[in-house]
Amino acid sequence: MEIEARPKMIGARVQRVEDPRMLTGHGRFIDDINLPRTLHIAFCRSDHGHARIAAIDSAEAAGMPGVAAVVTAADIEGLLQTVRATSTMANFHGTELPVLAMDKVRHVGEPIAAVLAESRYLAEDAAERIAVTYEALPTVIDPAAAAEPDAPLLHEEIGSNVLIERTFERGEVDAAMAAAPVRVGGHFRMHRKTPVAMENRGYLADYDQGRGSLTLHSTTQVPGIVRDTLVRMLDLPGNRLRVVAPDVGGGFGGKTALYREEVLVCVLARKFGRPVKWLSDRLEDLISTSQAFDEVVEAELACDDEGQILGLRADVIGDVGAYSGYPWSAAIEPVQVVSFLPGPYRVENYRGRVRGVATSKSPMGAYRGVGRPISTFVMERLIDMAAVKLSLDPLEMRRRNMVRAEEFPYKSASGIVWDRAGFLECLETACDGADYGALRRQQAAARQQGRWVGIGLASYVELTGLGSRIAVAPGMPVNTGTESATVRIDSTGAVTAYFGIASHGQGLETTLAQIVAEELGARLQDIEVLHGDSDAVAHGTGTYASRSAVLAGGAAIVSARAVREQVMKAASHLLEADAGDMDAANGEIFVKGTDRRLSFRELARAVYTEVNRLPRELREDIELEASNIYDPYFGTATPATHLAVVEVDPETFGVTVQRYVVADDCGRIINPLIADGQVHGGVAQGIGAALLEEVVYDDTGQILTASLMDYVVPTAVEIPAMEVFHLETELPNNIGGFRGLGEGGTIGAPAAIANAIADAVGHLNIDINELPMTPERLFRLVSQKEE
Amino acid sequence: MKPAAFEYLAPVSLAEAVAALGRDDAKILAGGQSLVPMLNFRLRAPSLLVDIGRIPGLDYIEDDRAGGLRIGAMTRHHTVETSDLLRQRFPVLHAAMQYVAHLAIRNKGTIGGSLCHGDPAAELPGLMLLLDARLKTTQRTIAAEDFYEGALDTALAEDEILTEILLPPLPAGTGWGFEEFARRSGDFALTAVGATVGEEARIVAIGAHETPLRLRAAEALFPDIEAAAEAAREEVSPNDDLHGSADYRRHLVSVLTRHALMSAREGAAS
Amino acid sequence: MIKLTVNGIVYEREVEPRLSLADFLRHELGLTGTHVGCEQGVCGACTVILNGDSVRSCLCFAVQADGAEIETVEGLGSIDNLSPLQKSFQEHHALQCGFCTPGMLMTGVDLLRKYPLATDEEIREGLSGNLCRCTGYQHVVRAIRAVVEAGNGD
Ligand SMILES: Cc1cc2nc3c(=O)[nH]c(=O)nc-3n(C[C@H](O)[C@H](O)[C@H](O)COP(=O)(O)OP(=O)(O)OC[C@H]3O[C@@H](n4cnc5c(N)ncnc54)[C@H](O)[C@@H]3O)c2cc1C
Ligand code: FES
Ligand code: FES
Repeated sequence: MEIEARPKMIGARVQRVEDPRMLTGHGRFIDDINLPRTLHIAFCRSDHGHARIAAIDSAEAAGMPGVAAVVTAADIEGLLQTVRATSTMANFHGTELPVLAMDKVRHVGEPIAAVLAESRYLAEDAAERIAVTYEALPTVIDPAAAAEPDAPLLHEEIGSNVLIERTFERGEVDAAMAAAPVRVGGHFRMHRKTPVAMENRGYLADYDQGRGSLTLHSTTQVPGIVRDTLVRMLDLPGNRLRVVAPDVGGGFGGKTALYREEVLVCVLARKFGRPVKWLSDRLEDLISTSQAFDEVVEAELACDDEGQILGLRADVIGDVGAYSGYPWSAAIEPVQVVSFLPGPYRVENYRGRVRGVATSKSPMGAYRGVGRPISTFVMERLIDMAAVKLSLDPLEMRRRNMVRAEEFPYKSASGIVWDRAGFLECLETACDGADYGALRRQQAAARQQGRWVGIGLASYVELTGLGSRIAVAPGMPVNTGTESATVRIDSTGAVTAYFGIASHGQGLETTLAQIVAEELGARLQDIEVLHGDSDAVAHGTGTYASRSAVLAGGAAIVSARAVREQVMKAASHLLEADAGDMDAANGEIFVKGTDRRLSFRELARAVYTEVNRLPRELREDIELEASNIYDPYFGTATPATHLAVVEVDPETFGVTVQRYVVADDCGRIINPLIADGQVHGGVAQGIGAALLEEVVYDDTGQILTASLMDYVVPTAVEIPAMEVFHLETELPNNIGGFRGLGEGGTIGAPAAIANAIADAVGHLNIDINELPMTPERLFRLVSQKEE
Repeated sequence: MKPAAFEYLAPVSLAEAVAALGRDDAKILAGGQSLVPMLNFRLRAPSLLVDIGRIPGLDYIEDDRAGGLRIGAMTRHHTVETSDLLRQRFPVLHAAMQYVAHLAIRNKGTIGGSLCHGDPAAELPGLMLLLDARLKTTQRTIAAEDFYEGALDTALAEDEILTEILLPPLPAGTGWGFEEFARRSGDFALTAVGATVGEEARIVAIGAHETPLRLRAAEALFPDIEAAAEAAREEVSPNDDLHGSADYRRHLVSVLTRHALMSAREGAAS
Repeated sequence: MIKLTVNGIVYEREVEPRLSLADFLRHELGLTGTHVGCEQGVCGACTVILNGDSVRSCLCFAVQADGAEIETVEGLGSIDNLSPLQKSFQEHHALQCGFCTPGMLMTGVDLLRKYPLATDEEIREGLSGNLCRCTGYQHVVRAIRAVVEAGNGD
């Protein structure tokens, strides 16, 4: 008899199980959850960048219709413990993050008082009537000035605005640079961004007085971290505090911090004994969700006459905003800039110094790519600048310096160990895929016609799926290096897999189900993936840092294999066959080469219900459930090369992206549709960062980009069609062979676009060292050149 | 971002509407595509909204039998954009409409609303200047040229309702050009320029001044297009703002003027 | 008191004038498929079809919709019987977090009814009032293109 091949689940273009509910309006997002008697919060937020609060008059507001209470910092004193980010890094200063501003405010948008009312409309009516008297203090806007010893201080107790200072060093960089025949360098600037998930943040806390337990529904990417932290802040046992992330409308890092509003709804739900909800509106989102990528970099690269890199040095100032966020702290973004600056290249002599400096702006936090969009932008510009100086093709310049296959594992200049991955293969694949030679010829022809067409390459390598050896936030009481999975077959034969991650667009309900289905031999539709719930597993943190496929996927494999073993043990008795002669597929266990088979449902019934089907010893020995933890220890390397073709309008200075090619090495692909989608979305955000998006504060700390009219997110017209190639280089020492790919698109695109623009205006000898490269900036650069 | 409370009236005649507007602090609601965002931001908090959307007979594009058109103030952008009659008579207006916002906003926003809102970067007010429109209200008829007094500021009285736009015929053989530069598809213009060329040239700059602006000095220099483009740069007084500096906008005015005039001249010749 | 038809069902409700149509649909009628992403008219997540035209439900008050016919995402296909456009979105992975999706679908429905959508540029132009932060738009364009090519309506 013919046995059908076991259907491959991992690697299949499976349609997502999330989709039908999302497509029909049956998703369940935070604001779709309505509990009776809910109080709605509207905030009175600071309109000062830096000021002492002299008085808050909320009498009128408190008397407005529908208002249950107006709450200020004084009203919640003693109801919670504060937290502050810590770190084992030297020269690190955490800051307290008051839930409501205490005696002073440090940025526009900081919450001062909360109105609780019967509806958001009424709450806003009252919030308008709260009168705050401020004594203005000098604002701190320019991070370089803020780092000076005599700058006004945002946190007096620290004695400086420099919240973190760090240097990575290897070799003799100054000597190497001094002796080098070729040096290029510049002053690079990436302006501040904000993630702009289409769903704003929101929190709904429900306190059950009878049980003394609290449920927080939160748009968080990290329910486990939020639960573990709130337990400490609210002094509740973990089994009385549940954090549930329902369907979440994107996060991109902006939902990985513990937010003050999130803590406050919990405190107030407990205080008032009613559900309390706060839903950010877009205005609040743009002024209060963590911001990112705000760095100034002085950098210099040296090489020999053949283009071999001899040395690299950089001085980075990160504008980290007013507070050190929890848990990732003010260090997360700027430190990554120097730790990843050497990129996928052999750099023996390196010094990268970084300072994270507090300013009167919304706190900086994690955003897709974290630091690496800037490090890649700077390094890839330097590589191209050197290539121009040496009259080398940028492709050749990269070939000569990229870490080669025989050099793995390669320890980077900042100490990261890169294991085998397709560094050069990505470079070649992207260029072959785009037909680089033909592109250069087309470019030459376009130039003949006076058109400013440019081609830009950007190569990088990121560390994804971090294991316990490398902490995302060094020194924080958060274990980011493991994830757990519980796989259970219940008495009906249905399979449920529980995870600590929290999918919010990545399609993990589908990809993790694919993994479990494949390992168990179950059908996809028989598997339910539960995630985004702190009660799902004993410990988990969430979804961030391109980790979920690697860590949760790994844990899924371990647990599913353990359950499969149990299944086989029972089946072996029931089918009277050796485990080695059996296999499972399509929800059935069968004896190979025979027609003896047993469905999961029948097996479950035999194990759980029909007590005489299995001997007692066996029944007691079989557990159709397993919980395991997976720790990839080091993490995985995901390299990629992006290639962009742009055209600059020589008159308006508008930039259009005409072609975009990506080649990445994401290891074993679980679902090609989803893998492509992750790249597309990442690139779109990177193009936004390169051309359009910028959070602007004026000299007094007022934020000028508080609407989506002014914070310019790209539309379908600005984003080109993309061509994506995935390499699947085998991964040593990793159970699933998956590499993370959630952030990569955003890391490569700013650099590729910057290089393409620089190439397009190469004849003018203009430095493209600032992003976003708006038409205004390009106009100024060209005008200065012409003068 | 919830608006402050207001009362709401939806009169079914202009007279009723005008009467309702007699009350202090009342505001006309047309398509709501500019007003409602302002209400949501609480930048405006009128105590009464007078919705003129239920008044019959304000939504039409009609032949004036003299080669021009009459357009009802409540005619929606999408209707204007897709009108064949309008496309034949005023192709420049048709071309400009392609740059106005997005489908869902064009489905609701009205020509009258756009004109009365008076955003200096909006296409329609500039086009009215270019086409020498006359704006008929419940009180009088105002030349487009006299309608704009400043950014978001028009000659309308508080209780005056724009009812009809009269577009006089363009002389046969008039060529036209419309050029716009915006940072993102559907956004307000960073700067736009419209031009017509017949017996003489007419040029209007959008987004480069506190109102849409006729570029008379540039017009006078036509047919020397290069000189006109240079003069255009000096005629506008743009502000620096988030999306572009005054210098850059002047530059754009000059560039776009040149292109608009070239298209217009070509159209006129053929 | 307003009376309106949503997805074929007639509703009568007392509403405050300032209640947006989006909030009305979501919180008065419990039709939470329509999403609110900005209330500034920019993101398009709140797009619904009102008397046959796609509009922003955040820029329209419920009182203005008195007497209107409204279609929301809940009125397209059902979970077991997706509409051709919904099906195409699933087949082409045109959604990730799903938050922009109802607005994308309703815009897509209006575009498919009104325009030939002969080129991808036309589709992109038509979608330019709907922001998506997840997909980079490519699969959305492809999903709509597939429906145009299949020619079997929205
Ligand atoms: C995301 C977005 C993008 C946009 N992009 C563009 C763009 O690129 N170009 C562009 O031009 N516009 C753009 N708009 C604005 C849009 O065109 C508006 O529809 C238009 O400006 C206002 O028309 P309305 O009918 O909606 O007026 P409303 O918003 O109802 O009213 C606007 C103002 O005019 C007054 N008013 C309205 N009608 C009358 C009348 N008949 N008599 C007297 N006063 C009246 C109102 O009291 C109010 O002050 C955009 C809007 C949005 C939300
Ligand atoms: S919520 Fe209506 S456009 Fe964003
Ligand atoms: S799918 Fe998430 S915003 Fe579009």
